[in-house]
Amino acid sequence: MAESGEGTKPAADLAAAGLQYVQYEGAKEEQYLPSIRQLISKDLSEPYSIYVYRYFLYQWGDLCFMALDNDSNLIGVIISKLEPHRSGTYRGYIAMLAVQESHRGKGIASKLVSMAIDAMAARDADEIVLETEITNTASLKLYERLGFLRSKKLHRYYLNGNAAYRLILYLKEGTALKRPEGGHAHDMGMDMPDMQRMDEAGMIS
Amino acid sequence: MADSFHRHSTASPQDADAVSSHDGAGPFHVNITNATPQTNLPLRQAFRQPICAPEPKIHDITEKFLKASNALEVGQLVKDDYFTLFESIGAIEILDPKMDSGFLKPGETLEDDYDTSRSLLPEEIIGIMDQLLCYEMAWHTGYPLSQTLFTSVYIDKLLWPEPKTLEQSQFFPNGESAHGPSAQSLLQVLRAYCLALIKGCDYVILKITSRDYFEEEDFCTQTYNRVLFVSTPMDVFLRELDAAVEVMEDTNFEIKDALRSAIISRLKFRQDFLRALDLDHPLEHMSSSWSPVLSGITTIKATHQLGQSVPGAFSTKMQRRLASTVPPRPIVEFDFKDALDLLEHICVDCEEATRFIDLPQDPLEYQSFLWTFASRLPAPLVYSRSYLSTLMFHPEILNTAVSLPLADVKTLVFPASLVLDPINWTLPPPRNPLLPKPPRLQLAMLIDEFVDRSGQPYLDLWVALSQNRCRLRRMLSHVITAWDLLQADASLVDTDLASAASELSITDQILEFSLSTWVYHKKLWMIEKVILLGFEQDIYLPDEFSGMHLFLSLIVTRRRELLTRIQTHHRTRHTQLLRERKLRLANEVAEAAPYLDSLAAEATGTAALSLALARFYMIAAYCGLLPVPKRPFSTESLRYELRMKPFLAVQPPEVPPFEDFKAHTQPYGPYTSPDPGFAADLRNERSELWAEVDGNVKAAKDAFTELKRLGAGAAKSQGVEKAWGKEVQNLLASCVALGVASAGVKDAVRKAGDAGDPKGLDIRAEIPDSGAKKRYAEGWIVVKIVKEA
Repeated sequence: MAESGEGTKPAADLAAAGLQYVQYEGAKEEQYLPSIRQLISKDLSEPYSIYVYRYFLYQWGDLCFMALDNDSNLIGVIISKLEPHRSGTYRGYIAMLAVQESHRGKGIASKLVSMAIDAMAARDADEIVLETEITNTASLKLYERLGFLRSKKLHRYYLNGNAAYRLILYLKEGTALKRPEGGHAHDMGMDMPDMQRMDEAGMIS
Repeated sequence: MADSFHRHSTASPQDADAVSSHDGAGPFHVNITNATPQTNLPLRQAFRQPICAPEPKIHDITEKFLKASNALEVGQLVKDDYFTLFESIGAIEILDPKMDSGFLKPGETLEDDYDTSRSLLPEEIIGIMDQLLCYEMAWHTGYPLSQTLFTSVYIDKLLWPEPKTLEQSQFFPNGESAHGPSAQSLLQVLRAYCLALIKGCDYVILKITSRDYFEEEDFCTQTYNRVLFVSTPMDVFLRELDAAVEVMEDTNFEIKDALRSAIISRLKFRQDFLRALDLDHPLEHMSSSWSPVLSGITTIKATHQLGQSVPGAFSTKMQRRLASTVPPRPIVEFDFKDALDLLEHICVDCEEATRFIDLPQDPLEYQSFLWTFASRLPAPLVYSRSYLSTLMFHPEILNTAVSLPLADVKTLVFPASLVLDPINWTLPPPRNPLLPKPPRLQLAMLIDEFVDRSGQPYLDLWVALSQNRCRLRRMLSHVITAWDLLQADASLVDTDLASAASELSITDQILEFSLSTWVYHKKLWMIEKVILLGFEQDIYLPDEFSGMHLFLSLIVTRRRELLTRIQTHHRTRHTQLLRERKLRLANEVAEAAPYLDSLAAEATGTAALSLALARFYMIAAYCGLLPVPKRPFSTESLRYELRMKPFLAVQPPEVPPFEDFKAHTQPYGPYTSPDPGFAADLRNERSELWAEVDGNVKAAKDAFTELKRLGAGAAKSQGVEKAWGKEVQNLLASCVALGVASAGVKDAVRKAGDAGDPKGLDIRAEIPDSGAKKRYAEGWIVVKIVKEA
C-alpha cells in the first residue's frame, strides 16, 4: 500500500532512501527502455508493444520521469503526454505509472506524479486526466490526495470486466468553458483524440 | 489491468445517431481511421483489404532505403505524423509469445488434435452442455466469443468451414462417427444442443444490435466471420432438438434414467430458451415465454453434479482459427452457479420487461417503468435492456393516437385547456393565405410545431434510460443540454401561444409560459437524477458531500417552485370553471391535481432531505469526521468549476458563483480550521445549525409520508407499484438513518462537554458502500456514526 505517510515524506527522506529522480531523454532509450517495459508490463496481462512506449517517449520524453537507485536501477516510472484535446483544452494525460513492489509505500509514486504535474503545468496545460480501476484504492487515494476528482465512472472499461473512474485535475480557471477552436470537435486531424482506453499500467499498491 | 488498451473504437451503427454521440469523451464515438462508424474492427487492427484492389506493382526500394537510412544515427527514431497512438496499440512484435499469434513454444502445436468424433459418455455430454452454458453467460456479461463459446472444439466444427446447409454442420464427415452408432446418437444429441445454442446467440446479437448499446463495453458482437445460422429459421432448430429428445427417450437406448432425464431436460431448456429469444415472438406471448426457461434452470441446477467435464473440448488455441491477429487470450472462467444465477437474472429481468406491454398508455407511466427498470439491482444486463427497448419502440406500443410528449405536456400544464381542444385542429385555414389564421387554428399549429420539435429530445431521454448505469449518468448530461435548447425554443412558442390566447381573450386560462415550464420541469428532474447518480456511483468524495447535496437541494427547490406556480394556476382555473358551471372541464382540471400533488410531495421531500444532508455533512466535515485531502495541486474554485462543468452551459438554472457556494458550504471558514462560532453552534442543540438538519429531516419525512399516502397511481407509477412503494420506503428509511446519525453526533458533542474539541469527538463516520445493499437508497448516502472503540 502506498497509503501511510504517502505524500507527506519530506524530500530529504527520499534522498536518504538513495533515490534520484530523472527526466527521460531520447538518447537514453537503450539504457532505460528495457527496464521501463519490464517494470510496467509486470502488472499487465498483455504487454504493450515497444511502439506504444516509443509513441509516448519520443514525443513526450520530457514528461516521463524515473526514480533510480544508487546503482541506476529503475525503481519507478511515470509516462505521460500533453496535447490539445478535441474538447478545446490543452490536456495532459498520465498513461502509465509503476513503482517496484519492494519500494511501494514510500511516496515514490506521489513524487513522480507531482513531477509530471509540475512539468505539465509549466507547459501551460489546462487539465490532467487519467483512468484507474475502481478497485485500485491506493491509486485513487494517491491521485485524490494530490487534488484529482472523479469525473466519470466507465462501465466495463477494462477487458477483465472491471469499471474505471476517470480522474481530472484542473490547472487553470475557465477550463470547463473551453471549446474547440473553429467549431467541430471531431475534425481535429487523424490522431486519436485521447487515449481513452489506456490504463496506467503500473499498480502502486 | 491495462488490457483494455487494445480495444478499439468500434461504434455500433446505432451510436452514430444516438444522443450518446455527443458524449465528448466516450471512446466509442471516436472513429479513428475510417469515416464510417459501421466498421467492425477486430481487437487488434487487421490489414484492411481494399474491395477492388488494383494490380500490385513491385518497386525495388532497396537503394532508396539504404540511402535514406544512412542519414540516420543508429537508434535514432523517426515518427511520421500518421503514426498514431491507435497504430502503436495495434502494433505487434513478431516472436513475442504474448503478441505474435503464430508463435509457438518448443514442442507446442498450433492446434489441438481433439477428435470430435470420439465417443462421449452421457456424463460427458452433460458436462459439455453445462460448460457451454457457462461460456454463453460469460459472453452475455461482455466477454468476446473468442474467449468463451468459440473456445469449444464442437462449436468450431459446426461453424467452420462455413456450412452451406445445416446438414453440413457436423462434428465429423457425413455425420457418421467411426466409433459406432451408439456414440453417434449421443453426439447427435450434443450437436442439436449446440446448434440451438448458436442460433440463440444469433438472436441475442440481432436483438442487441437493433438497439443502442456500446460495443465492447456492454457487449461484444464480433463473430470472427462465423455465420451463426442467420438465415435458418427457428423451427429447424426446434426440430433438431425434438429429434434429439426422441433419441434420448428411446428405451432401446441404454442409459441410466437419471442421466437420460438430465440430458432431456437440457434439450428442452434449449427449446424454451430459443423460443424466448426468438425475435418474432408475438407480443401477446412474450410475458409467458420466460417461466418455462426459469423452471428449466431448476432442473439443470439439480442435475449438474451428474456431469463430467471434458477439458479437451475447450481450448484457447481455437482462437487462432478465428479471424483475428490477437494471440490466444485466456478462456473466461465462470462458475456454474454464477452462470445459472446470471441466466436467472436475464430471465427475471426480461419477464419484468414484458410488463411494459400492459402499462397504462401514458408516457409518464412509461417513464416510471424505464427508470425503475434501470434502477434494478443487480443491474439488468445488456440483453435485458435491449429486450425492453425493443418493446418500448415496438410499433404497436409507440403508435398511439396522441404524441408522447403532448400527453406528457397535457398532464402537467394543459389539463382541460382550450389550447389542446381537438376542435382547434379541425378549423380550416383562410382561403386567402395572406389573411391571418383564426387564433384557435394558430394554437393547433403552434402545438404541432412544438410536438415536432420535442420528439427527438423526448426519445433521447428514453434512450438514455435504457443504457448501462454509468452511461445513463453521462448521457443524461447531454440530454439535459438538448432540453436546454428545447426550452429556449419552447419559450418562443409560448410567446406566440400567448398572443393567440390574447386574441381569444383567454390569457387567464393559460399558464404563463406553459411549454417552457414543462421543459424546465423535466430538465430540472434530469439534473437531480444526474447528481443522485453521481452519489450512487461514488463520484463525489466525502468532503464534497455537503456541497453536492446543497446544489441538489437548490435544483429541487427550483422545481418545487415551478410546481407551486402550476398548482396555483390549476386551482384558480378550477374555481373559475366551477363558477362558470363548466363541470366537466372543472373535473378534468381536478383530476390533474393528484399527479401534481405527488410531484410536489416528492420534490418537497427531496429538497428537504438534501438540505438536511448538506448541513449534516458540513457539520461532519468541520468535526473532522470526513477525510479532507490536502490537494497541493488544486484549489477549491478549480474543483468547483470541474464539478459544475456539466451544468455551466445550461440556463436556467444558473450555477451559483463560487463565492456564494463557498459562503453556504463553509460558513465557519475552512473545514480544517473552523472559527469559534462553530463549536458554540455545535454545542447548542437549538442553534440554527442543528435546526437545519433536524427540521429538514422532519420536513422530508412528512413529505415522503404524504407521497406514500398519495400512492403509486398519483405518481404515475401504477405499473411499478411495488418497486415504487419500496423506493418511497427507502427514502423514509434514509430520513430515519440521518436522524440517527445526527443524534449520534449530538450525543458525542454532549459527552465531550463545553471544553471538548469538535475535532476530537469519540466517534467516526462510516460511509456505506454502493451496490452492496448497505444504503437504503443507492443515491442517498447516509453515514453511520459509530462510537470509537
